[in-house]
Amino acid sequence: MMSSALLAIQSTNPIALTPNELWVINTFFYVIAAVGIVAALKMVTTKNVVHAALYLLVVLTVVAATYIVLGAEFAAATQVMVYIGAVMVLLLFGVMLTRAKIGDDGDLDYDSKWIGGLSAVSMFAVMGYSLWEAFGTDELPADMAVQRTGQVANSIFSQYIVPFEALSMLLLAALIGAVVVARRD
Amino acid sequence: MGGHPFLADGVDFGDVILAVVLALVALVLTLVMTMLMVWFERKVVGRLQNRIGPNVAGPFGLLQTMADGMKLLFKEDLIPAKADKVLFVLAPFLAVVPAFLTFTVVPIAGDFSNGGSGSSTLPGFLGSREFLWQVADVPIGILFFLAMSSLAVYGIVLAGYGSGSKYPLISSVRATAQAISYEAALGLSLAAVFLVSGALSTNQIVLNQVAEGYGGFNFTRWNVVTTGLIPFIVFLIAATAELNRPPFDLVEAEQELVGGFHTEYSSFRFALFFLAEFMNTVTMGGIIVTLFFGGPSGPQLLPLGAFMGFIWFFLKLMVFLFIFVWFRATLPRVRYDQLMDLGWKVLIPISLAWLLMLGGLQLVRSGDLSFVDSTSADLVIVIALGLAIGLLGYAMLNAAIRTSRSERLAEEGLKLIAPKSQDSESLAGHQTGTTQGGH
Amino acid sequence: MMSLFAQVPVSTPEIQWFYLAPILILALGGVLLITLTSVAPVMRGRHISALFTVATGVLALAFLPFIAARLDGLVDPVAGQGGRPAVDLVSSALVVDHFTLWVSGLISVAVILVAVMLDGYLEREGFESPEWYALLLISASGGVILASAEDLIVTFLGLEILSIAVYVLAALHLRRSESQEAGFKYFILGALSSAIFLYGIAMVYGATGSTTLTGVAGSMTGRNAAGLSPAVDSSLVMVGIALMLIGFGFKVSAFPLHIWTPDVYQGSPTPIVGFMTSAVKVAAFGGMMRVFLVGFGGTFASDWRVLVLFMAGFTILFGSFLAIVQTNIKRTMAFSSIAHAGFMLVGLYAAASPVAIGDTGKRAVLFYLLAYTFMSIGTFAVISIVGKKGDGNHSIEAYRGLAKREPLLAMAFTVLLFGQVGAPFTAGFFAKFRVIAAAAQVERTEAYILAGVAMLGAAVGAYLYLRVVVAMFLDVQESPSTEMADSADETLALVEVRALEVPPATLAVVLLAAVVTLVLGIFPDIGSGALAEAALALVR
Repeated sequence: MMSSALLAIQSTNPIALTPNELWVINTFFYVIAAVGIVAALKMVTTKNVVHAALYLLVVLTVVAATYIVLGAEFAAATQVMVYIGAVMVLLLFGVMLTRAKIGDDGDLDYDSKWIGGLSAVSMFAVMGYSLWEAFGTDELPADMAVQRTGQVANSIFSQYIVPFEALSMLLLAALIGAVVVARRD
Repeated sequence: MGGHPFLADGVDFGDVILAVVLALVALVLTLVMTMLMVWFERKVVGRLQNRIGPNVAGPFGLLQTMADGMKLLFKEDLIPAKADKVLFVLAPFLAVVPAFLTFTVVPIAGDFSNGGSGSSTLPGFLGSREFLWQVADVPIGILFFLAMSSLAVYGIVLAGYGSGSKYPLISSVRATAQAISYEAALGLSLAAVFLVSGALSTNQIVLNQVAEGYGGFNFTRWNVVTTGLIPFIVFLIAATAELNRPPFDLVEAEQELVGGFHTEYSSFRFALFFLAEFMNTVTMGGIIVTLFFGGPSGPQLLPLGAFMGFIWFFLKLMVFLFIFVWFRATLPRVRYDQLMDLGWKVLIPISLAWLLMLGGLQLVRSGDLSFVDSTSADLVIVIALGLAIGLLGYAMLNAAIRTSRSERLAEEGLKLIAPKSQDSESLAGHQTGTTQGGH
Repeated sequence: MMSLFAQVPVSTPEIQWFYLAPILILALGGVLLITLTSVAPVMRGRHISALFTVATGVLALAFLPFIAARLDGLVDPVAGQGGRPAVDLVSSALVVDHFTLWVSGLISVAVILVAVMLDGYLEREGFESPEWYALLLISASGGVILASAEDLIVTFLGLEILSIAVYVLAALHLRRSESQEAGFKYFILGALSSAIFLYGIAMVYGATGSTTLTGVAGSMTGRNAAGLSPAVDSSLVMVGIALMLIGFGFKVSAFPLHIWTPDVYQGSPTPIVGFMTSAVKVAAFGGMMRVFLVGFGGTFASDWRVLVLFMAGFTILFGSFLAIVQTNIKRTMAFSSIAHAGFMLVGLYAAASPVAIGDTGKRAVLFYLLAYTFMSIGTFAVISIVGKKGDGNHSIEAYRGLAKREPLLAMAFTVLLFGQVGAPFTAGFFAKFRVIAAAAQVERTEAYILAGVAMLGAAVGAYLYLRVVVAMFLDVQESPSTEMADSADETLALVEVRALEVPPATLAVVLLAAVVTLVLGIFPDIGSGALAEAALALVR
């Protein structure tokens, strides 16, 4: 088992999935998708800020798990490290420094929330419909190739070098902005 | 594990059984090691403080941890009235699970001598399977470790928030800031290891540190040497901070925060936090051994096969566990500003500069970068360039810090001399602005 | 040693630094400025940051003719059907053609002019901060990236670099809570629109399997008679295009995504508003034109054209009519900028037509951008001066008697306002005339209606600009003495009475803008060669 694993690390050849394996992957996907949907709904309906943040955390974890299902392991690890490990921690940090109130928070309700709900539902309907129409009958390819981290690294530093560098400018702008806005005058 | 991350090459029942057995073995091993670690820490700290340490329960007091654990289990389980009950209950588990999961990628045994890949084969009647002495050799290996260590902070954060009490809350705010600050340094020092090994999988990283000949033992191949010591030192410091161990234990500074994030916890839940903390220490030691000191590789002094690897791993691990305890016994706790300064102004810049230089060296070795004809001269040039750039960066950082400090002082001085003259004017302007604003 | 890196040889793309110069100069200028000022206290002296920024802008501008010359001299241009010179840079992430150069030029000019007027503004408000300029430069580099992006990922990143810096700039007047509110509003809504934009990119990628504009365009050409492309799923593409239109529509403040504009313009520091109406608008239109005309210009143009038509019409109407009821000059100008965006969208509508008319439309939009850059920067320079210390004196009443107190300023402002009206002998006239003419050339009923709406909007808009002009030439009888009597607050009265400080550099910006408005109005064909080249570059 392991010697073949060692070989597989180097090879990027797609490995055919048997129907049995597809079934396992599909089931796994349905389970995490259900978890994600429930968590997303709870996130917008809960009346506690910290709970909302934690439900968001679950949604982000589900996204990471979906990346694993799709064979994008680097994206999954990055999702966990960046979103779960940094972004959400900072979000909780901010909440705790400002209004870490135990229990429900009435202020979180918003009178015209139905407008938001309506636009969310209609957007979901439109996008869902077009996605369903385009990919509704597609199946997971039987010869799925896994994106190894090395490949990701290679394409970042060759084909996608401009986005990579542009992103650093973006972060620089955000960094300067954060420091300047947060600084007391 | 090739092909699809989950399933490839036909996973059968035997593979599942093997995985479960490996996981169980690892779990038991971590628990035992954690138990011993608690004893070890108390014993060594005791000695370093001219005390004897635990010596009553069992031989040399070895069973002291067990006794403490039993006592904790039988204590009353309290949930404070103001607590957020779900989070309060959830938090200890969130602390323990990542601690254990990290351990699954650490190779703890295996025969790496004489070209061995560290894998062993099960006896024929069990199906002649090959396996590695680690629960999983995930291809993203060390990234998995980073991901788990970033998850570990949630246990503390939620414990602090869920307790509904002020000291735990302060503690968890501190924990968050500390974790975020040191994770960057941790990741950057890891990047140096990736760069040299060219792999993320822990098995590959260990294999890369094994030399041919010398019975597989040549410490110049260890990453601590090939990455030039600095990443190791940065990693060790950042790891200590990630573990919230002294001298970076501001999270549970008893003098200020009662007990830190677990002030409100008792009984089994408290025991879980305690367990997580020490399990993390053991795991971090294992990660350091794997990344920088060749993991379980070493010469077969005794013909023990894979078990010899475990002996090497254990011996190396002991050194780092001792270092962690040594830190605790000798170093005073840092101040909060010192903590932040060390992380942001020292560790991160140093790791960045070092990574740049290692990258340059790697380019020279692969022949993509060349100034003169000879490779060794090129290496010297790159090292000199790297040091020069590093020094320049350091000088600029210092200049920037000095400039901003003097500016801040000047500004504060100004405010002391002429209070508010400027502010009242701008306030007036602001008022006119609001009164005349249209719709 | 088993190493992944050793096994897969990485083919690093060739980088043609020369063509990248404008982006690199602007971006590195920002980085260098923030570094130098934080390291060397000498750099924190008066005017130095502004001078540095102006120098950076001039340097970026100076490179453009040379790049144009080199482009024209290319033996074998990497161009599509149009046969226009263009260079694909760094594995088709960016493209440099005459269109890029035109947009880069406008953005660089905007940076220079805004930096000059920012200097006087910051001195008056008591800020001495290099970060304003650094963010200005970084934002400008994002704008150039946006306009030259050949890949939708790069388009998105350019848009974000442009925007994030401007969100911060909007909030930078730290002593005014309005400014912070503006920055926050802009940020929240902008982030939402970026997310929608990104959804759009994902949809387009899902449908076409490519993120590069040529790839997207290539997979869309095979549309069959039934209206459905065999290779491309049309509903997915349409949703993607619509979502991306929302993203761009937000940035150019087109109806119905214009709601943020008045609040943000009112609250933000006035020179920054000048930057928003010039560089941000130019870059957003640049990116929009490139993405929509090059990427979606093929078979789907007839579909999204209708959306743009409705957007344009309503944007003009809303901008023009709502501007009338405003009493705050910055809000008025915000609605006027919405109306101007509507006119430019009319040009974009025409540009989406088949070749000959399309070129007229593109030229019209590009000319409009040129004219509006100068007119709006000049206008906001005047508003910045009249705003007085605290940047709060923005009621239209404040312009009463300006002609008597500051005749030169008032004259220039009159020219600029007439330019915005679209009066003859100003650049605004030709700008509006050309977009309306281009729309009329489409020769469809809805295009005629759109042209009619645009003319109506122009007529209504005239009222609001003339109101300000009239106020300037009115007497000062009631104010300020009555206001002083009314106001119990002495400091308030003191601020009212204090004469305008007119920094000479800002006055120079106003005069330059006014002169350019007049010159372009009398000789509208100046630079028409470059304009035509830029317009033609988008046929690929």
